[in-house]
Amino acid sequence: MELLIKNGSVYDPSNGIKGDKTDISIKDGKIVEKVSSNASVIDAGGRLVMPGGVDAHSHIAGAKVNMGRIMRPEDTRAGIKPRTKITRPCTGYTVPNVYAMGYRYAQMGYTTVFEAAQAIMKARHTHEELEEIPIIDKGALTLFGSNWPTMDFVREKNMDKLAAYVAWGLLASRGFGIKCVNPGGGEMWGFGKNVTGLDDVVPNFDVTPKDIIVSLMKVNEMLGLPHSVHLHCNNLGKPGNYKTTLASMELAKQVKPSKDRQVLHVTHVTFNCWGGTNWGDFESKADEIANYLNNSENITTDMGQLIFGSATTMTADGPVQYANAKLLHAKWANGDVELEDASGVVPIFYAKQVSIHAIMWAMGLELALLTKDPYKVLLTTDHPNGGPFVNYPEVIALLMSNKKRQEEIKTLHEAVHKRTKIPGIERELDFNDIAIMTRAGHAKVLGLLDTKGHLGVGADADIAIYDIKPDQIDPSVEHAKIKSAFQSAAYTIKGGEVVVKDGQITATPMGRTYWVDASVPDEHTEIMMKDIRMKFKNYYSINLANYMVQDEYLTHPKVVRAGVIPAEVS
Amino acid sequence: MQTVTLKPIKEIKISVEAENISPDKFAGKTEKDIQSLEAWMGNQKTTLGELFSVKAEGSGAAADTKIVMDGNFSRIKRIGEGMTAGLIIIKGNVDMHLGAKMSGGKISVTGNVDSWAGREMKGGELIIEGNAGYYLGAGYRGETCGMRGGKITVLGNALDFLGEHMCGGEIIVKGNAGILPGLSNNGGKIVIEGNTSRPGSEMSKGTIIINGLVDEMMPVFKAEGTEAVDGVTYRKYTGDVIVNGKGVLYLK
Repeated sequence: MELLIKNGSVYDPSNGIKGDKTDISIKDGKIVEKVSSNASVIDAGGRLVMPGGVDAHSHIAGAKVNMGRIMRPEDTRAGIKPRTKITRPCTGYTVPNVYAMGYRYAQMGYTTVFEAAQAIMKARHTHEELEEIPIIDKGALTLFGSNWPTMDFVREKNMDKLAAYVAWGLLASRGFGIKCVNPGGGEMWGFGKNVTGLDDVVPNFDVTPKDIIVSLMKVNEMLGLPHSVHLHCNNLGKPGNYKTTLASMELAKQVKPSKDRQVLHVTHVTFNCWGGTNWGDFESKADEIANYLNNSENITTDMGQLIFGSATTMTADGPVQYANAKLLHAKWANGDVELEDASGVVPIFYAKQVSIHAIMWAMGLELALLTKDPYKVLLTTDHPNGGPFVNYPEVIALLMSNKKRQEEIKTLHEAVHKRTKIPGIERELDFNDIAIMTRAGHAKVLGLLDTKGHLGVGADADIAIYDIKPDQIDPSVEHAKIKSAFQSAAYTIKGGEVVVKDGQITATPMGRTYWVDASVPDEHTEIMMKDIRMKFKNYYSINLANYMVQDEYLTHPKVVRAGVIPAEVS
Repeated sequence: MQTVTLKPIKEIKISVEAENISPDKFAGKTEKDIQSLEAWMGNQKTTLGELFSVKAEGSGAAADTKIVMDGNFSRIKRIGEGMTAGLIIIKGNVDMHLGAKMSGGKISVTGNVDSWAGREMKGGELIIEGNAGYYLGAGYRGETCGMRGGKITVLGNALDFLGEHMCGGEIIVKGNAGILPGLSNNGGKIVIEGNTSRPGSEMSKGTIIINGLVDEMMPVFKAEGTEAVDGVTYRKYTGDVIVNGKGVLYLK
């Protein structure tokens, strides 16, 4: 299989290509130097060519996604599309069915997506869904922040044991990296409480959120995992939480990265850059976060941009969801995962005339526009918390056009003028910035920049072609064209195969599931497993033998090796 | 003025999705056009012409379109779904979702209707001379708003959960109603002339008037003495207190 993409206006930030007319040669699913004259040819005709989109934070599979589907039959009705000869039936808007997840991402030119939170115990469910999501490559980050073994080993200050537990947990869940959600808070929620700051002591465990975050960062670097610790900060969803966020970012200074990437990824900042002390004086402090990012080197974030309309909030942060449900008088699902974490799901409708929502809308944009380096702020909506991922093109258009932002601001609650800086921000991002925030940046943050998020030789042949000619369009003025072009890719190529043409699915190959096999010395694992066996004997409701995700759950695995021992030796 | 007459040409045992039977869809169309409109019978695609004899006279906009349906339509679902204007007269029984999401016009039925009639209705009028099934004027699964406007009148009885999640409009039942009428109400008015049980649970707004007997009351209402409505004295209750509700329940 050979393919040649000619006359594309290529944006490939990590190879320094900014709109140059470059040909791209593809052979056997990879990008190569050149192909033979037998290769089939796609003439891009000067249109925008980018690497396939990568999304490092989205909720696409697992127990709480499915809980959202169960509790929102009205959402299922919102996106019904019958099957075709190629595609299976689609449903839903904020919580689409598994097929729609794959198709809709591919239609936007996205080819790699990571589920941002799975509890080890629920990992089977996550993989059962991932196995059914067509086209895209995917993976799942594993929750470690409130797990009993994590907190035990942190208290013991035994990093070898903690590293062994993380490596074993990633194997048990076939996970890709360390997710840490409201560390300590998930456990406190089991007693109807929450932690209120980085120095609160978690009862019975005698550790603080600060200890947990720092220890996990250290272990992450000891193991040399491709991704960094992925943190959902404490106090999320509470006015004034930007201070906790800044204090959490400050912790990153204590750890040196083992690779060319951040040591801490602080996620969905829209939900944790809140100023004020209550809902009355609620205001945006996204500028403070941006300012911090501009002066630090080893931290990245993502926007978690709010989209007006229907959304479904879902998180492993159980207590914040209880507060949400009480505040909104909305449906509420609560989950407790034995020794591991909690979770909650609450539907929400973001309205333009509600001051809090209007301010939150501004936060994500402020963060992206005030942070100088686009590698530090990834474009996400924390699907489906801020809004469904199908709205990424709307966010792209907002970032590229001040005109669009000003038009939107006119329709919003007046609080957006007083409590945010967005009306005065004139910066407009270019195609290169967007390519970073939707592709190269995500791949770098995930540690997959060798094969994802770029178009150099050796990269996976995941490519998107959009129906815009960058040299003939003024995105500031023609923002509607930008949005519609990013909504439906002219071509999406996944692993060298054309999967979308003119916004329509043309093929549905099965993507791969990434997971990290981290090796640690056997003796560390043995000591650690003694504790784990005790936990299973005394507390877990299931048997250790039934806990691990088996290989049968991953029919297309892609194993990334890491660990204390170099891969060759193991 | 356009008049379209539909009669079944065979006995229909499998349910038919007939959202295309609506003045909006028929307006200005010829007999042949109407015959070729799509309908799903079970998992088979078919046309209205395959199922019904169609007679069309005259031509007009939706507001000037009258559909007369004569016969047994007890397996025909979603008649008049989303209609905005015009008139449907049904001489017989119909299946579920009659007039769902309609926002204007009028539907009258001489027979019985199955569940979900007037579901999420926004406007217009629905007159049912026979009995209604479950979830009359309710919201569909998961919705927080059912009927938002318009008027439903049932001359016979209605089954359980009528007006669930209602946010506006009016429902009048001349006969008896099943359990939990006005469940989770958030507006609108329900009048039940006959008997019912456990009305108004979880209601946060809206009015329910019951002229018959109430078999059982949920213990979530606050007694507010008596009040006269249109010259009739009722015992007045407000609630549901558990959800801080401001709903009003009038009982004889």
